[in-house]
Amino acid sequence: MLEAIGLTKTYDGSVALDDLNLTVRAGEVFCLLGANGAGKTTTINLFLRFIAPTKGTARIAGLDVADHPLETKRHLAYIPEQVTLYRHLTGLENLEYFSVLGGHPDYTEEQLLGFFDQVGLSRDAAGKRVGTYSKGMRQKVGIAIARAKQATALLLDEPTSGLDPKASNEFSELLRFMSVSGVAVLMATHDLFRAKESGTRVGIMKRGRLVTTLDTGDVGHADLEKIYLQHMHD
Amino acid sequence: MTAPLGRMLRHEWRGLVADRTAWLVLGLFGFLVAYAVMNGATWNRTQSRTLDSAAAQADARLAGLRQALDSLPADAPPPGPFGRDPRSPASVGGRDGAQYTVLPPGPLAATAVGQSDLLPQYFQVSMRSRQTFANAQEIENPSNLLEGRFDLAFVIGSLFPLLILALSYNLLSAEREQGTLALVASQPVSLGRHLLAKVLVRGGFITLVAIVVALVSLAAAGVSLTGPGAPARIGLWILVVVSYGALWFAAALAANVVPRSSAANAVLLATVWLAVVVVVPAVLNVVAKTTHPVPSRVELISAMRTASNDASARGAALLAKVYGDHPELAPSESVDAGEFMSRTYAVQDEVDRQIAPVLARFDEQLVRQQQLAERYRFLSPAVVTHAALTDLAGTGAPRYRAWLDQVLGFHQQWQEFFIPRAFRRQWLTPADFDAIPRFRYQAEPDSAVRGRVAVGLLGLAIPTVVLLLLAGNRIRRFEVAG
Ligand SMILES: Nc1ncnc2c1ncn2[C@@H]1O[C@H](COP(=O)(O)OP(=O)(O)OP(=O)(O)O)[C@@H](O)[C@H]1O
Ligand SMILES: [Mg+2]
Repeated sequence: MLEAIGLTKTYDGSVALDDLNLTVRAGEVFCLLGANGAGKTTTINLFLRFIAPTKGTARIAGLDVADHPLETKRHLAYIPEQVTLYRHLTGLENLEYFSVLGGHPDYTEEQLLGFFDQVGLSRDAAGKRVGTYSKGMRQKVGIAIARAKQATALLLDEPTSGLDPKASNEFSELLRFMSVSGVAVLMATHDLFRAKESGTRVGIMKRGRLVTTLDTGDVGHADLEKIYLQHMHD
Repeated sequence: MTAPLGRMLRHEWRGLVADRTAWLVLGLFGFLVAYAVMNGATWNRTQSRTLDSAAAQADARLAGLRQALDSLPADAPPPGPFGRDPRSPASVGGRDGAQYTVLPPGPLAATAVGQSDLLPQYFQVSMRSRQTFANAQEIENPSNLLEGRFDLAFVIGSLFPLLILALSYNLLSAEREQGTLALVASQPVSLGRHLLAKVLVRGGFITLVAIVVALVSLAAAGVSLTGPGAPARIGLWILVVVSYGALWFAAALAANVVPRSSAANAVLLATVWLAVVVVVPAVLNVVAKTTHPVPSRVELISAMRTASNDASARGAALLAKVYGDHPELAPSESVDAGEFMSRTYAVQDEVDRQIAPVLARFDEQLVRQQQLAERYRFLSPAVVTHAALTDLAGTGAPRYRAWLDQVLGFHQQWQEFFIPRAFRRQWLTPADFDAIPRFRYQAEPDSAVRGRVAVGLLGLAIPTVVLLLLAGNRIRRFEVAG
């Protein structure tokens, strides 16, 4: 579903992402781990075509994102670290508009509110202007937008940063649900616990290189942390 | 299937409604438009009154003289050479029957004062020489935008773009800075379409404000919008406003498709505005005046003085020459009291001939200046727009020049009618009165105005299309995170 082939990005000679080869199949939840500046966001931005690669290709559903920038985004939902919405509109209006853009212009208000129920945002809050929201509430609207899009690939860049533990837990359940529904998920995160909990595979990045990939089923929580720290010390 | 444009427009509309600055900008703009129209209409009313009374006075003069002629007893003594008498060609063709040649205001005169407040809109034409009325009028170049009254043409040409830029300088850059662009750009909708929705809503609204407020204010000021020729001109006026607005939105779009900060966009676009609205017109003006300078007024006056002294000294000889060349002009009865007047005409004729080359150079240089300004007006869309708006208002340079030519033609006719009669001291009869030339302004056909405005519209459309093509091409390489 998500495929990186020799994907490379350099900024004025400094390498942000170095020859990434990665496939995330339908139903997989791939968690990208790595220190600050390791190249996680760069990877996700390349799939979104927010930046152009220096070398290599990124594919979604078999299509090169460079050649099919719009078509590939039909299959794609994205939750950034900071979900920034239209402040003067309500959560509901934001969800409606991004659903229109995302190819679902026909949702009824009840259906839209249903998505808020699923992500745990009260209907009361959904009717308020986003300008008054806390960070976590905005994050939930972002998740609702992603769900409403019914995408087959999900790109997440530290989506749970700022969520309270309960919401974070609900988010893990959402990931499991997505995985069961056959969605390919690529998530950048610093949360080893969540990665082990809800990921099917984890990859550890270091200075733009993907140094290790592991199946989460093969390691325990403690092992994952040990392996991660080992790589960081090298 | 990409997102329906209608829904996108509705979203942008909500955004605009929620934006207080936008309302402030639009409210201010509406006020300026209304104020400018009122200003123009007031000026237009004052001027119309003056022109009407001048025209009426010219008619009344001839009618009065004619009446005096009819009521003259048959045995009245012949008029003296200097006296005021309805039979004397020197009297009627001179001060007493002098005509006002009025340039009537066009149907939309209230929309653009142009230079109608600087340049005389009527002349008093008599058999005396041209210098007594049209003393080498210096028509300012139409590129002098920032001078003149606060009229609608100024608001559209200079302030309208500024407000458009205020609404659109950060169309994309603000979304990039605030972060909403990331979520938008992750959707299957092109940035071009996203921008289009933004521009259509803002552009549509501000243009609508301009048009509606202008038309309502014109109607409120008593300008007929349905009078002869008015609807077509209003249609063209709207087209000019829409095209000019589209060009400025295209400029804002072009600035936004390069990832740059809002502040940098603001500086860039303000610079472009300054160049287009202020600098280029001023430079055009200076270049026109320095490459085709008119002879100095001092030169003109001293030439006139020399010619006049010279001719006066040779008065008797000049008159003899006139009689020699044109024996038919000799008076039938030799009344020597009139000799002095005849000498004056001969002297005037000689002076006119001597300074004709200086005057001709003056005129030629002015025409060259105008031609240069007109040719290079396409360098500044503001000049193109101002020219089109004054043209539609009937206060533009081409109409004024055509009228001036008609006035000079009429002056010649007038002289040709009266001077020979004055030489011959041939008294005017009622039949002569009926044959006195009258000035009738020959309006140019509306098609001529339409043609010129169409060229102007093309001059606005071409840069718009070029900018849009460039922007459309560039936006494909836009990096949302870069
Ligand atoms: N626009 C840019 N210009 C220059 N260098 C950049 C740019 N964007 C990212 N980089 C560099 O690319 C490298 C990878 O950055 P990236 O944002 O992908 O890291 P990350 O793994 O997401 O880090 P974090 O955990 O802090 O989010 C960093 O060294 C960063 O400095
Ligand atoms: Mg990051």
